[in-house]
Amino acid sequence: MIELIRDLSMLDGVPGFEGEVRNYIRARAEKLCDQVSVDSQGNLFAFKKGNRTPARPIMLTAHMDEVGFLVNSITEDGMLKILASGSIDPRVLIGRKMKVGKSKLPGVISLKAKHLTKPDERKKAPELKSLYIDIGASGREDALKYVSIGDMAVFDSEFALFGNDCIKGKALDDRIGCAILLKLMEQELGYDTWFVFTAAEEIGARGAINAVQHIDPGFIAAVDSTGAGDTADTPEHLRSCAMRHGAVISLIDRGTVFNRALREKVTAELDRQCIKWQYRTRSEGATDAMAHIYGTGAKVFGLSTPVRYIHCASSVAYLPDIEAVLKAAGVFIEEAGDMNA
Amino acid sequence: MELIDKIKKLTSEFGVSGDEKRVSAIAAEFLREYTDQVEIDKFGNVTGFIPCGIEGAPTLMLDAHIDQIGFIVTEVTKDGFLRFMDIGVDQRMLPGSELAVLTRDGVIRGVVGTIPSIMQPDESAAIPLTEMTVDIGMTGEEARKTVRVGDYMAFWNPGFELLGDKLCSKALDDRACFVCILHALELIRNKPLKVNLLVCASIKEELGGHGSMYVAYRHKPEFAIAIDVSHAKTADAPEVTCELGKGPIINTGYNARPELFRLVKEAADRENIPYQPKPCPAGSGTNAWSIQLAGKGVATMVVSLPLKYMHSPVEVLHMNDVRNTGAIIAAFASSFDGRVEL
Repeated sequence: MIELIRDLSMLDGVPGFEGEVRNYIRARAEKLCDQVSVDSQGNLFAFKKGNRTPARPIMLTAHMDEVGFLVNSITEDGMLKILASGSIDPRVLIGRKMKVGKSKLPGVISLKAKHLTKPDERKKAPELKSLYIDIGASGREDALKYVSIGDMAVFDSEFALFGNDCIKGKALDDRIGCAILLKLMEQELGYDTWFVFTAAEEIGARGAINAVQHIDPGFIAAVDSTGAGDTADTPEHLRSCAMRHGAVISLIDRGTVFNRALREKVTAELDRQCIKWQYRTRSEGATDAMAHIYGTGAKVFGLSTPVRYIHCASSVAYLPDIEAVLKAAGVFIEEAGDMNA
Repeated sequence: MELIDKIKKLTSEFGVSGDEKRVSAIAAEFLREYTDQVEIDKFGNVTGFIPCGIEGAPTLMLDAHIDQIGFIVTEVTKDGFLRFMDIGVDQRMLPGSELAVLTRDGVIRGVVGTIPSIMQPDESAAIPLTEMTVDIGMTGEEARKTVRVGDYMAFWNPGFELLGDKLCSKALDDRACFVCILHALELIRNKPLKVNLLVCASIKEELGGHGSMYVAYRHKPEFAIAIDVSHAKTADAPEVTCELGKGPIINTGYNARPELFRLVKEAADRENIPYQPKPCPAGSGTNAWSIQLAGKGVATMVVSLPLKYMHSPVEVLHMNDVRNTGAIIAAFASSFDGRVEL
C-alpha cells in the first residue's frame, strides 16, 4: 500500500491533466480487472467480476486529479504567473518548491527577504495574483524555451514515512483513494464491481457526473480524502474528523445527503468486524458522491481517509486509517450487494 | 569537489545559531585542504591560519558565518504538537513548510500546520506564528519521548538547481560565502602573500555577530572582510539595486572602509572581475559590524554575494556570483600588503 501511495503521490495531474496518473493506474487495473476503458473526460473505468452479480451495478470512485496550477503568463523578467486549478489557500504557497510542465522543471514561490518588509506587511498575506514561480529564467524569452502558457504546475514535495505510522507528501487527496481502489482490485470480491478513477473532482466532480451516467449504478461509494481538523488549538466542535480515529463516514456535505439505510448497514458491519470508523461531523465541501443525482438514481455512501493539511505541499495521513478505509470499502461492496436496489 | 557540491554539502547539514557544531566539522574539513593550522573553538567557530612568512606582517581576516535561521521548540503540547519561536523568519514562509527537528536522537521531519481554514477564512491576513505548530506525526506521549523543549528546528529544504546556473537551497546565507572564501584560497594557492590570512567560519551571526566577535578579539587581525549575502532584486522588490548574476557587491561606508573599498575595486578592475558597488551608510548587517569593534578596532570591508529570497527556505544564488566573489577576494588578498592610510 505504501509503495502504491508513494508512486501515485509523486505523479502529477491537475484537473484535465490526469494522464500520468491514469496511465499508472491503467497498467495495474488491466492485470487485475476484466474490462478497462477510458472516456472523453479522462475517467478510467475498471470492471471486475465478483462471485455474484448485484441487483444494480456497484461503483466505487476515487479521483485522480490534485489541486494545482496552470501557467497563465510570463513576465518580462521571466517569472511565471499562475492560476489555481482547485481550491488552494495562497498562504500555503510561499517558500514552496514547484514542478512545472511536462519536463517537471523545478521552480520556487517565495517573497522578498524579511529585511525588506515592514512589520505591518508581514501581517498581510499576498494574493495569488501577486505571487509567481521563479524557474531561474533570465527573461520571458528564456523562460519560453522551457515553459508554455497552459503548462501544469504542482507542488514538488518528497513522499516520506513520517513520525510514527504516518506518511507525508503531496496529492494524498486523493491518491490515497486511488491506491485503496487498486488494493481492493487485488482481492476476491463478493459482487461485480466498477472501479472508477475520476477526472476533475477538484473543480466540481465533473468526471464523476459522466461516469455515473455511463454506468448508471445502484450503489456508489466515493472513496476520498478529507481534511482532518484535529490540529493544535482547533476546538473539538470544529474538528470534523481526526487522524488516528479510523475511516471517515459521511453524513452530509455541501453536495450530498448520504443514504441512511446503506450507511447504517455498513457501519453495523464495521462495528461487528471491529474496524475503526468515525463520522465526518462538518463539511463545507463536496465529493464525487454528489454525482449520484445523475442517471436513474443511486444509494450513495461516503468514505474518506482523514488527512491533515489537505491541499498543501505536505499533507499527513496515518497508515492504520488508510487500512481501515480499505476494509470499509470492502464491507461496502458486500453490504451494497446484499441490498435491494 | 566542485564548488556547487561544497555548497550543497554545507547546506544539507543543519546548524541554527547556537547549534552549529555539525556544520563546523564540515567547514573545518574543507579548510584543511588549504592549511594545517585549522582549529574549532569551544563555541564552534572554525579558523584556519595561513601565514605569509613575512616577519611582523599584518593579518587579514576573511569571515563567513555558518549558522542559519531557524526555530526553537518552546512547548510539546499534550497532543504531540510543537510550539516554537523563530530566529529571523518571516511568518508567511511557514504554513505548509517542512522542518527538520533536531532531536537528541537525530533529525526527524516536521510539517508546519495551522488551525484549519474554517477558523481563518480571511485569506488576506497572514497566519500569526503563534497560531502555528509543528506536526511530527506522533501522539503526545510519543512526541514527549522524542522532542525536548529547547530542541532546534530548521527548514528541511535541500539544494537543487534552477535554470541558468542558479542554485536554490536553505542556508545559502551564509554558507555559500564560506565556499566563496574556499574558492579564493584555491585561486591563491601557492601564490606569495604579503599578509597573513585568518579564515573564519563563524557562528551565531544571525543573533548579532557573536561568533566573529570572539574570533576577532582573540586573534586580533588588523583587517577583516566580512563575506555575506546581500539582497538581489526580485519582482516584489524592484527598489533593490543589485542583481543576481552581475557580480559580487562591494560595499563602502563607515562599516566597509572606503580605502579598502578602493583597493578591492582596483584589484577587481585589474583582473576584469565584474562587481556591483553599493553604499552602506551605517551598519552593513554583517559580521563586519561586530568585528570592527573587537579589541582596539579592526579595519573592515564587506563583500557580498547577491541572493534572492534571503531567509526563506528557497534562497536563490547564481554560481557565477560565487566564482566572482571568490575571484575578487583572491585578487585583493593576493595583492594587499597592509599598507593603507585609513
